[in-house]
Amino acid sequence: MGVVLIGPALLLLLLVFLWPMASYLWLSFHAQNLFTDLQPVPVGMLNWHRLVLDARFWQDAAQTLRFALVSVSLELGLGLAMALLLNQRWRGRGLVRSLTLLPWALPTTVMALGWRWIFNDPSGPINGVIAGLTGSTLPFLASPSLAWLAVVFADVWKTTPFVALLLLAGLQMIPADLYEALALEGGSARQALLRITLPLLRPYLLLVLLFRLAQALGVFDLIVVLTGGGPASSTESVAGYAYLNAMRFLDFGYSATVMIGMFGVLLLLGGVLLLVLRRPARA
Amino acid sequence: MPASPSAQPIASQRGQNPRRWTLVALLLFWSLAPMLWQLYTSLRTPDALLGGLAAIGRGWTLANYGQILSSDPPFWRYLLNSTLVGVGTTLLTLLLAIPCAYALQRRGGLQRQLVDGALLVAAAFPSVLLFLALLQLARQFGLANNLLALCLPYAGLSLPLAVLLLEAAFAELPRELEESALLEGFGLWQRLRWILVPLLGPAVASTAVLVFLFSWNEFPIALTWLSRSELLTLAPAMARIAGSSVFSVPYGAFAAATVLGSVPLLLLLLVFQRPIVAGLTQGAIKG
Amino acid sequence: MTVSSTISSTTTSAATALQLEGISRRIGARTILEDLDLTVSPGECLALLGPSGCGKSSTLRLISGLDSPDRGRILLGERDITALPPARRQVAMVFQSYALYPHLSVARNLSLGMEIRGVDAATIARDLDAVLELLQLGELRQRRPADLSGGQRQRVALARALLRRPQVFLLDEPMSNLDAQLREELRPQLRAILCGGGAPVVYVTHDQQEAMGIADRIAVLDAGRLQQCGTARELYHRPATLFVAQFIGRPQINVLQEPDGSLLAVRPEHLHAVREGGLQVRVVSREWQGASQQLQLDTARGPLRWVCDGGRSIGDAVRIAWEPQHEHRFAAGGRRLTA
Repeated sequence: MGVVLIGPALLLLLLVFLWPMASYLWLSFHAQNLFTDLQPVPVGMLNWHRLVLDARFWQDAAQTLRFALVSVSLELGLGLAMALLLNQRWRGRGLVRSLTLLPWALPTTVMALGWRWIFNDPSGPINGVIAGLTGSTLPFLASPSLAWLAVVFADVWKTTPFVALLLLAGLQMIPADLYEALALEGGSARQALLRITLPLLRPYLLLVLLFRLAQALGVFDLIVVLTGGGPASSTESVAGYAYLNAMRFLDFGYSATVMIGMFGVLLLLGGVLLLVLRRPARA
Repeated sequence: MPASPSAQPIASQRGQNPRRWTLVALLLFWSLAPMLWQLYTSLRTPDALLGGLAAIGRGWTLANYGQILSSDPPFWRYLLNSTLVGVGTTLLTLLLAIPCAYALQRRGGLQRQLVDGALLVAAAFPSVLLFLALLQLARQFGLANNLLALCLPYAGLSLPLAVLLLEAAFAELPRELEESALLEGFGLWQRLRWILVPLLGPAVASTAVLVFLFSWNEFPIALTWLSRSELLTLAPAMARIAGSSVFSVPYGAFAAATVLGSVPLLLLLLVFQRPIVAGLTQGAIKG
Repeated sequence: MTVSSTISSTTTSAATALQLEGISRRIGARTILEDLDLTVSPGECLALLGPSGCGKSSTLRLISGLDSPDRGRILLGERDITALPPARRQVAMVFQSYALYPHLSVARNLSLGMEIRGVDAATIARDLDAVLELLQLGELRQRRPADLSGGQRQRVALARALLRRPQVFLLDEPMSNLDAQLREELRPQLRAILCGGGAPVVYVTHDQQEAMGIADRIAVLDAGRLQQCGTARELYHRPATLFVAQFIGRPQINVLQEPDGSLLAVRPEHLHAVREGGLQVRVVSREWQGASQQLQLDTARGPLRWVCDGGRSIGDAVRIAWEPQHEHRFAAGGRRLTA
């Protein structure tokens, strides 16, 4: 009976997750591009050598990592603050919780288009405010040093509600009597946060961190629509580069190599994080 | 154990708390202002938009909506396509995930822990990495430019989260309910149909909404599978609009598109907020 | 004519006995049941009594088929049902939690199972009305389980069991979710509804009073082993093991160490005061219980419990004794030694 119940789902899962990774691995040892008439030709380690020497790949990897670390840190910090605020009891909390969740439900591509207008130079509302204050405007999407911040900003805006929602779930699992016991002993709100809330929230923080980090490292839609990877590929992500290789340059072998490389980095990062963060949680 | 809603840090006492209301106001501004700005933009003529607050009394228009709804193909076409794919994906995912979650939950032990771990990894996996291989599949089996075929990879990508959420929900059901039905002579499908799935109502609803949300928002696969413009779903259509020069600054029509593209999901979320939160909460606990 | 037979003329009361032969069950290294033999006659109510974890609920699950034994056979009349799937055993179980389907009304809770089993609509309607009337649930038929009191839920669960027209009734602590007073009120009702029909009834409880009030015979289990099976009277007067002696009867039986290493047990209610001879004791504490009082005594042979009706006070020195026929003797291992 188990086979009938699990089988179909398992088959689809294998097809959608395992088969692609296996085919990439195979493809990364083949050239399949315009020079080979789009037929796979075995080339040994050629793609891998190219990857190691590809400055653009490493630049994209650094940019992607920077984006992921900065935006996920901000999301965790802001999300925790948001969750703490929403976990307190006050009138209208339910409605506010629903409203704050809305950005998360918006399609990334839709909102990215919106951000393009909000960050517009000189007519966007942010530059309207800046111009009112300083008399000049900032080229958010045209300057490499500002464009990646715009991307971070848009990502934080969209994803923080989701982080807050999961952390809120964690907060609601903490029994109220722990706080009452601490209060009876004369503990302060600060102590409550450090001694009770954060330690008990730890598994949730870890889960959210890993989940968000993996998603942020795969950032694609947001950048495609918001900056198109520009200016001068300063906001290009690894996923975007892999996409470019496959769909623009029609170099499937190399695109697969880039994706396997990224997957490797992802696994490594996830493993290290788990090792570092999991152990003290047992204490 | 679900804690009482009173679980909260001591700091929150009843009564007026100006600091808190400031924070709440800030939070609402942060969450809603960008969306309200889009709504505002979508209703303004280009001149009025550039005129700033001085021009607030005039220049309101629905022309932007008229423009995108009358373009070729009209914008509602994308919404329709996305809805079709979303509904198909949701149904297919539930059809596969419910029996799978049930069987996994009943299995227990180390085997299930391993499977759950793998599912968690798959759920966190950035799906953009899969587009190339999936595109090859689409070419091989002639699935490109077929909206219903898109449900297949979408369901596959939604399955890990859906199974995890439903598994957690199954675990919450008292075992005796099913055993009682078993003793009464219910077969497996009858137990699922009459007892288990109805009782999982909220979890099924929240899973369905999450899957629909994913499908509505998915971009890379839709981008590579669909090329005929009348078949585009919302996400690639937005990207195409963004990449085209049809709409010029200042964005009135863009904004109208973002508003139209958001409204269905916002409504869905507002209506199903409670089961979504409950479902995610349950899933998070088990995860 | 029993109550349950009024539900439907087609009740399958083929009057078959339930028999467990050498049933054993293990989970990993843990023994849940060891070599259990039991027979329940048609219409008889057997209580499975013991502390939590003794294997009484496991026994029910084995009879119902929800679990299967590692060794032994389960017989219904002549038929071996050990390997039969639960759906086909035609047993009805009342769970401790009642396991009513929370999303269905009372009437739906009762009729759904019959529908699934392919009973025709006319019979369903007739049986439903009959059972609702029998258990005084008529006015509650459209309510959801959440809107019922504990006693009402129990009645719905009983009704559902009756409609199964089972060959065996299984009840797993059906009273433990009710308050003490209601329990006493419901006992005779429960007995009238279930027992005395064609089907054997197995009733699991940890409450000896309940077992004595409802069951024809009681099987006492400890650590997966059957200690003794008999009427309440037999268990009280001739406990087969020290465990049974201590488990049956409140306050607990007194146990005295004998010089030869064996154990002598006398019930607190069988002690009486004597002028001379007997055992010199001092009253250490007392609990007044209305008709009687329970005293804690300090003696040279260790502490004793005594139930008496006199007006003793703390500190009193008394001599007590007991009749030889009230003595129970057990070997050091707990087995009964003499008649």
